[in-house]
Amino acid sequence: MDGRGSVTTRAQPPERAAHIADLVGAARDGSQDALGQIVAELSPLLWQVARAAGLSTSDAEDVVQTAWLRLVSHLGGIHTSAALTAWLVTTTKREAWRVRAAGRKQLPVDDSWLTAMPDQAPGSEAQAIIDDDRRRLWSALGKLPSRCRELLRIIAFVPRPDYQAVADELGIPRGSVGPTRGRCLAKLRCLLEVDDAAGSKR
Amino acid sequence: MRQQDKSGQAAGADGPPDDLDLAILGGIRDLFAAADPMPADLPERIRFALALRDLEVEVARLAARESQPVLSSRGAEQSRTITFDSESLTIMIRIDSNGDGTVRVDGWLAPPQRREIEMRTAAAPLTVVADDHGRFAFAIVPQGIAQLVVHPARPDPGGSGRSVVTPALVL
Repeated sequence: MDGRGSVTTRAQPPERAAHIADLVGAARDGSQDALGQIVAELSPLLWQVARAAGLSTSDAEDVVQTAWLRLVSHLGGIHTSAALTAWLVTTTKREAWRVRAAGRKQLPVDDSWLTAMPDQAPGSEAQAIIDDDRRRLWSALGKLPSRCRELLRIIAFVPRPDYQAVADELGIPRGSVGPTRGRCLAKLRCLLEVDDAAGSKR
Repeated sequence: MRQQDKSGQAAGADGPPDDLDLAILGGIRDLFAAADPMPADLPERIRFALALRDLEVEVARLAARESQPVLSSRGAEQSRTITFDSESLTIMIRIDSNGDGTVRVDGWLAPPQRREIEMRTAAAPLTVVADDHGRFAFAIVPQGIAQLVVHPARPDPGGSGRSVVTPALVL
């Protein structure tokens, strides 16, 4: 875990990053309110990390809580927003693997959610276009390799300035063949374009 | 041809996301936020669990959870057994309803040892001491959110000096 504090990101909007760094500092000094704000900000992301790892909802709740409890004794080494997000994502992932390795009840990682896309009630024409976009995105996601889908699901919940730090943590190092945020997004864009082309022929 | 533009872009695919990438990521976020939302009360439980005086704690992870029906004078009820593991301790608790909006919690520490154990609840915290066999009991605990804190042994030769804490549970 050493060296996380030096994670740098490009194009960090200074206000949010500075605000989060302040909150981390205040939490280290014992401010429950600051810690509470960080919890509200980042828990939805950690929930998706745990669920993308295939945990049941109750296991995901435990794992997200455990990651936060573990953070408490690591606050001393975390000084930036990017480092905080990356540490929490990695720890949640490790805790999720641990639960899976222990053989507790688990769901298949894949496909269970593919059926979950709710049918939208018929609405205005504008709503129908939005619904159609959502359906196309959902179906394109379903065609991605599962590791790409999990990566994008997580990255989508990461605060924008922290993308690179988290992508570096989760992705395979640059230059190797494997899913990276950029590669997975490029693949997804291809799928959406193919779908677009097929749609315009109809 | 758009397809070729695409492969040209893939070569530099690890650059910063462009506007379309960001729009797609926003769409993915909306989809999963709707299809698999975080339980609304989870942040509150996390905040409760984190409201510890201590910053140096040993985290006990939930290792097993079982419930079995029990027949009592009040009819069939559930008895729950939960096991937590930390680096130095295993904590096992059994939760039974008292039938009046409170529960009884019986617990065991392994390895067995005399330790002060605090049950944090939404009301005042309750404290008991585990006996030499590691057994402890809270006879009356209000239903709702709760967390166990096993305080360091005193004296604590060779111990870590840290409290062992569990995640917040809903009793």
